[in-house]
Amino acid sequence: MSGLGDRILGLGLLVLAVAYGWTAQQWPEPFGGAEGVGPETFPTILSVVLVAGSLYLMVKPDPDAQWPLGKTALELLISLVVLVIYAMLLEPLGFVIATTLAVGTLSWRMGARPVRAFLTGLVSAVVVFVLFNYGLDLSLPAGLLEVS
Amino acid sequence: METLGFLMDGFAVALTPYNLMFALFGAIVGTLIGCLPGLGPANGVAILIPLAFTLGLPPETAMILLTSVYAGAMYGGRISSILLNIPGDEPAMMTCLDGYPMARKGRAADALAVSAVASFTGGLIGTIGLIMLAPVLARFALTFGPAEYFALFLLAFATLGGITGKNPMKTVIAATLGIMISTVGIDISTGTQRYTFGVLELYEGIDFILAIVGLFAISELLFFVEIRVGEGHRKINVGKLTLTFKELVSTIPTQLRGGVLGFIAGVLPGAGASLGSFLSYTLEKQIVGRKGTFGEGDIRGVAAPEAGNNGASSGALVPMLTLGVPGSGTTAVLLAMLISLNITPGPLMFTQNADIVWGVIAALLIGNVLLLVLNIPLVGFFVRLLSVPPMYLLPIVTMVAFVGIYSISHSAFDLYFMVAFGVAGYFLRKLEIPLVPVILGLLLGPEMEKNLGHALILSDGDWSILWASPLAMGLWLVAGLGLALPCLVGPLLRRRMNAAIKETPVSD
Repeated sequence: MSGLGDRILGLGLLVLAVAYGWTAQQWPEPFGGAEGVGPETFPTILSVVLVAGSLYLMVKPDPDAQWPLGKTALELLISLVVLVIYAMLLEPLGFVIATTLAVGTLSWRMGARPVRAFLTGLVSAVVVFVLFNYGLDLSLPAGLLEVS
Repeated sequence: METLGFLMDGFAVALTPYNLMFALFGAIVGTLIGCLPGLGPANGVAILIPLAFTLGLPPETAMILLTSVYAGAMYGGRISSILLNIPGDEPAMMTCLDGYPMARKGRAADALAVSAVASFTGGLIGTIGLIMLAPVLARFALTFGPAEYFALFLLAFATLGGITGKNPMKTVIAATLGIMISTVGIDISTGTQRYTFGVLELYEGIDFILAIVGLFAISELLFFVEIRVGEGHRKINVGKLTLTFKELVSTIPTQLRGGVLGFIAGVLPGAGASLGSFLSYTLEKQIVGRKGTFGEGDIRGVAAPEAGNNGASSGALVPMLTLGVPGSGTTAVLLAMLISLNITPGPLMFTQNADIVWGVIAALLIGNVLLLVLNIPLVGFFVRLLSVPPMYLLPIVTMVAFVGIYSISHSAFDLYFMVAFGVAGYFLRKLEIPLVPVILGLLLGPEMEKNLGHALILSDGDWSILWASPLAMGLWLVAGLGLALPCLVGPLLRRRMNAAIKETPVSD
C-alpha cells in the first residue's frame, strides 16, 4: 500500500492527540474557580487541530519516502548508540576521553580510516577542552584525567 | 530623522571594540557555515546559541554575534554553488545556474567576486529597507490587541510553509506539535502542572534551545550517516581574477533590482530568501532578454540571485524584530536567542530595548562591509575548507552541539533529551514534516496562549472577539490564503523553479 509511512504517522498522531486532549480534561479546576480560559482550553484546541490533521494524513497520504534498510539502518543505529553512550560517559570518563571515543567512532563509521578518525577526535577534544576550560572559563568535566 | 539618531546610537553600540570583534568572528563563522556542506544557516546559528548563552555575553553582543553569523551564512552559500554546483544553502540554488558555468569557463574567481559585491549591495539595500520600514511597522504594531496578535501568530504559521511549500497540512501538523511541546510544564497563569508526569526536569518546561539543537544538528548527522557522503570534494582551482571594472559597473542595475525585489520577498510572509533569489533571477532574465547568455555563465545571472537572497535575508528580519514573528527558519532561531535573553520580541522592543534593536541593525551594516572585505581576499581560505570531508566535520559539529547544551545546565539528562529530539527530527524530516514550524510553535506557543487568554478575559469569554476587529479579520483572511495558495499556485511555481534548474546544460 502506498503512503504507508504517512498513514502510520497519522495513526500515531491521532493516538497522541486524543491522549493529549484527554489528559487536559483531567486537571483539577484551578484555585479561584473557572474563568473563560483555564489551563485546559488551549491544549483542547490543539488536540482538535491535531486530530483533524492526523485524519487528513491517513485519508490522503503522500507517497512514501525511501527508508534505510539493512546495513544503512544498522549504521544509523550505531551512530545513535554512540551518541547515547557519549552522553552517558561524558561525566564519568571526562570530556577528553569520551569525546575522542565518540568523535572517533562516528567519523570512522562515516568512512574515515580508524587512525585518522580517532586522531581527529583526540585533537578536537583537546582543542575544545583547552578553549573552554582556560580560554572561556567554562568547566567541562575532566573525569579520569583529573589532577587533584 | 529620529530614526537616524537611533541608528547613530546603534553604531555607538556596534562599533565598540568588543562588539566589533564578535561581529568579525560571527562574519567569518557565518561564511564557513554557509559554505560548508551539511551545515545550513539555521543549524549553524542554533549550535551557536547555547555557546553565546553560556559565555554570558551581554544581550546586544550575543545578538550582534548571531546576526553577523546570519548575514555571513548568506554570503557563504554561494561559494559551493559556484565552484561545485552544489548550493550551500537553499537560497543559493539559483546562483548555481550561471555561477557554475562561469567557473567551468575558468572564471570562478570573477564569479566569486561579482557575487560578493552583489551580496553586499543586496544586503545593503535590504538593511536600508529594514531601517526605513521597521520603525513604521513597529509603531503600527503597537495598536495590536491580544486578538490581533493571536491572529498574527496563526498567520505566521500558515505562511511559514511558503508559497512553494509542498503539503500545507503537514505544516499545520508540525506547528501543532511544536505548540504542544511548549505546553509542557507549569501553566504560567494558573500554576497547574501540565504533562509533567511528575518528572522534576519537566516542571520548567522543555528548553527550546535543546530542542532546536537536537532537531537540527543531530538529525543532520543522522542524515549524513544515511546518505553516506563522507568523502570530501576534490580540490578546486579558483584561478586569477580577470574581472574588469567596467564589467562590474555593468551589473549595478542588476544588483539594485535584485536587492529591492529580494527585500520585498523577504518582508512578505511566506516568500523568503529562496523565492527572492528566484524572482530576481527570472526578472533579470526577462529584462535583459535575448542579449544575455543566461544559463551559460552570464555575469548578471550571478549578481541577480545573490543580491536577491541577501536583500531577502535582511527583509526577513523586519517581521521578526517588529512583530516578534519570524518568517524563516534562521530568523526563528534568532528569535529563540532573543527569548532566552529574556527580551520580549515585538513592537515594544523598539522602545524598551532600543540599544539592542539598533545595535543589531548597525551590526548588519558593519557586518556587510566586513564580509565584503573578508570575502575578496579570504576566498581561497574558504575554498580550501570546502574540501574538508563531512566525515570529520559532522562528528565535530555534533560534539560542539553536545558541549553547548551540556554547558548550559551541566546535566546529562538534557543531552539524552537532545538526542531524542534529534531522532524525532530525523523521522519528521523523513516523513516530510517541516521542522521550522515545529520550532516556531515551540517559541510562539506560550505567547499565543497568553494572548488567547487575554483576549477572552477582555471579552468575558466571548470567542468572537478573535475576529471582531477589521484588522484581526484581515489577518485571518491572509492566514487562510497562506494555507490555500500553496495548493493552487505552489505546484506551478515549483515546476518553474525546477524547470529553470534543469535548463542548465552543465549537468555532467
